[in-house]
Amino acid sequence: MRVVIAEDAAVLRELLAQMLAERGHEVCAAVGDADALRAAVAEHRPDVTVVDIRMPPTHTDEGLRAAIDVRRAHPGTGVLLFSQYVETTYATRLLADGSAGVGYLLKDRVANVAEFTDALERVAAGGTALDPEVVTQLAGASRRAAELAPLTGREREVLTLMAEGRSNAAIARALVVSAGTVEKHVAAVFDKLGLPVSHDHNRRVLAVIRYLRA
Amino acid sequence: MHDTSGAATRPSPVLVRPLVRTLLRAPLTRRALREAAYCLLAFPIGLAGGVVVAVLLALGAGLTVSLVGAVVGVLVLVAGVRLARTLGAGHRRLASWLLGEHLPGPGPPPAGRGLLGRLDARLRDGAGWRAVSYVLVKLPVSALGVYAVLWWLTGLVNVTAPLRWAVFGQRPDSGEGGGMPVLTPVPAGGLEVDTFAGTFAALALGLALLLLAPWSTRLVVAADRWLLRALLGRDRLADRVRDLEETRALAVDDSVALLRRVERDLHDGAQVRLVAVAMSLDMAKERLGPPGAEDAAPAVGPADLARVRQLVDGAHRNATEALTELRDLARGLHPPALDDGLPDALATLAARSSVPVRLTADVPRRPTPAIETIAYFCAAELLTNVIKHSGATRADLTVEECRDGVLRLRIVDDGRGGATIGAGSGLAGLVQRVRPVDGRLTVHSPAGGPTTAVVELPLHA
Repeated sequence: MRVVIAEDAAVLRELLAQMLAERGHEVCAAVGDADALRAAVAEHRPDVTVVDIRMPPTHTDEGLRAAIDVRRAHPGTGVLLFSQYVETTYATRLLADGSAGVGYLLKDRVANVAEFTDALERVAAGGTALDPEVVTQLAGASRRAAELAPLTGREREVLTLMAEGRSNAAIARALVVSAGTVEKHVAAVFDKLGLPVSHDHNRRVLAVIRYLRA
Repeated sequence: MHDTSGAATRPSPVLVRPLVRTLLRAPLTRRALREAAYCLLAFPIGLAGGVVVAVLLALGAGLTVSLVGAVVGVLVLVAGVRLARTLGAGHRRLASWLLGEHLPGPGPPPAGRGLLGRLDARLRDGAGWRAVSYVLVKLPVSALGVYAVLWWLTGLVNVTAPLRWAVFGQRPDSGEGGGMPVLTPVPAGGLEVDTFAGTFAALALGLALLLLAPWSTRLVVAADRWLLRALLGRDRLADRVRDLEETRALAVDDSVALLRRVERDLHDGAQVRLVAVAMSLDMAKERLGPPGAEDAAPAVGPADLARVRQLVDGAHRNATEALTELRDLARGLHPPALDDGLPDALATLAARSSVPVRLTADVPRRPTPAIETIAYFCAAELLTNVIKHSGATRADLTVEECRDGVLRLRIVDDGRGGATIGAGSGLAGLVQRVRPVDGRLTVHSPAGGPTTAVVELPLHA
């Protein structure tokens, strides 16, 4: 996996680069601001980029804007945003062009190196990785939150995990239940939400996201 | 005044002479002449303006009574208020020119939105209505002023009586019995003189009038000055409101800026460091393998061990940095030493300074925490300036309750001076900090030094 990192804190940038290199990934460039990110992506055409949202000069949403640009200019490139806080509006903007090859994680998630690299690999492969916080916030922000009401607690958990981009097998592991049970829950969720069932991973997440953003 | 030997035993000349001198010189002083000129010049504006404004107001009020004329009436009223404002400005200028009475004018009339809003704002224009009162009261006052000037004129005319008698031959017509009239500012029943010697009596009367004239104009001008200040100056309450609005905005901006800075410091500092710590430790954990692995087989090779050591080292370093950053941040929010009072906190501050600071603290009554905090940060900022910019070798820091209820913080350094409260400077920031509690910052810093900075704060915010 070829990666470009954009993070203004040198400590974290270097550690990320080391960690990815140790795991056998190629870090093409590790830069400190949004313009350098655009340039590096154009030059190296990486599989995936890890982008801090707040970067110089204004320390607001440079990273997000650059990430959106990258996705438009190089549709095949996965973008994993990470930041100290989760902002619903940022997630909405990021997901405006669809959820394929997109991730949005809290910086804290880097603390679990294995899960972080999993998420990064998922994004690089065109999948989705949303922080549970993002999903919770999106669900909370959803104007149709009332439509979630018919779901049971377990079904909500499954929906949340689905929205994070996990497969049925991964959900089963996370909830310590059998895959069959998960499938049953998923079917119930789609049924209650009036969504057509599909086994395609991406369409599944898309459906969830579309619902959450409504 | 210049008596030497007998002054103590004969005190009367000492008291009387300056008084006599003042009385004799009064008509010739610039002040008296200017005041007389003021009375004379203010009269036409006062009369015409007063009459026009009075007519406009009466007309406006009269029209407003009828339903049909209401709109026109209000417009006329508004025009009257506007005219009064303009006249007020003219009076202020005249007073500033001739009386040295420099009054800051009121702000621009309040603006309103839309036609009705504008009318409403104009009708509520407090400064405008105060100008109206001045212009109306000015009518009788300017008449009085002209009367006061009359004392000057009659005095002058009478003084020239002998001259006129001699030069123009103004003699009483033989037989008719009419003498040369003597003018008086108060009705005195047609005084006249009919001999040349008599004209000298008129001269004496003229001189007496001229001696009194400055006081008549001064009396009128004194009343006018009082009216000017009361009605055409700034409204003290309105000024206070404006000041409070301004400083409240400053205080709000200041606290928002502080919160933003804290968030930024945490975000870029401690938070990043702690993420790095957690990440390094997780990477080290992976190298060490799953728990219990050490019992089974030594899966951890020497290379792994070296890497683990490196990662733990890094984590340790970042954790230490994070601690330092957090401590600095916390101290920046509220120095713990302040809990023991301002003198203790300032002593800590002085001890940390790289320029030797001699601290004198005399604060018998403890200020409120907010004041203590502001005083502390002012001292910290001023000391930082001393260290960074002044090139001083020493500084004196004094904090005391100088007057009743006023805390004074003074920093004197022996540096090169030249400090100014310029926009965007640290000193301007301090002004922003002290103004919301009615505090003051004064800096005296001539080029070449020394610099004295004084912060005055009320004990209770």
